[in-house]
Amino acid sequence: MYNIGYRIVNNEAEAEDVLQEAFISAFRSLEHYRGDATFGSWLKRIVVNKAINVLKTRKMEQLPEGDDFDVPEETWNEEEFPFSVDQVKQAIEHLPDGYRSVLSLYLLEGYDHSEIAEILGISESTSKSQFNRSKKKLRDILEGGTL
Amino acid sequence: MKNDALKKFVDGHRHQWDDKQPHDRIWNRISLAMFGARTASLWNSVSMWRAAAVLLFGLSAYLFYANQSSPTVAKPPIAQQEFADVETFYASQISEKVKWISNEGRFADDSFTQDLQKLEAMYSVLSDELKKQPSERVKDALVLNMLVRIDLLNQQIQKLEESKRPAKEATI
Repeated sequence: MYNIGYRIVNNEAEAEDVLQEAFISAFRSLEHYRGDATFGSWLKRIVVNKAINVLKTRKMEQLPEGDDFDVPEETWNEEEFPFSVDQVKQAIEHLPDGYRSVLSLYLLEGYDHSEIAEILGISESTSKSQFNRSKKKLRDILEGGTL
Repeated sequence: MKNDALKKFVDGHRHQWDDKQPHDRIWNRISLAMFGARTASLWNSVSMWRAAAVLLFGLSAYLFYANQSSPTVAKPPIAQQEFADVETFYASQISEKVKWISNEGRFADDSFTQDLQKLEAMYSVLSDELKKQPSERVKDALVLNMLVRIDLLNQQIQKLEESKRPAKEATI
């Protein structure tokens, strides 16, 4: 849970605050846990929401809405991915808040774009285009060798 | 969405992405915040948590028999880590509350102690089951078991605090 919060807020102290708030909030709203999702995924969603709230207080930069601003789908087609986990982690930490949150929610937390759209209050197509832009930005950072 | 090398890479090294551990102080902070702000909760009535205990027992029995013939499902490391976090936190809560009640020398309270022991026994059965046949349902049952015990302990602590109050007031 701590790692999920950290990946979104990108700051250890704030990730601890997120964890604390999430556990307390979960305990106080147990009556809202209906058992239609696993307890883990219910708690995970609370952590994600708390972390996103932290980003909102930072005035997370607004990314372009809709497909008009879409970019070609970004893929690495190499047989072997040419970077290490540590390199990718560092590159993700260098992403702006908006890019990093979409990328983390999709790639690492396993949410699909309709769920990300609901979490972030954006459209599904915007989630897809933001994820694509995030991958492009990540690639620029990794291949630019600026780490 | 095409399944490109980045996605494959992340999925293939999934366990390496959850390497950060929160500082120990966080558990104390959470514990203090929750212990200090105890309020009426879902489980406030005795009948509610007793019903939960019965449900847990039933679920334990069901899982024990249902899993005899079902194949073991390997859980991804992320789910195991999430569960470990939750279990560690609630276990520390239970341990602190038990210690508090023990220090008050008021632990031998008949039905409360017996009910707590039953829940602990169910937890032990479910823990063994989780090792043999990991599943989300067993994890949920374990978490619910701990939450019921926490609320039961909270009620006992509240009772003890209330019983001490008139004595304190009398000395003022």
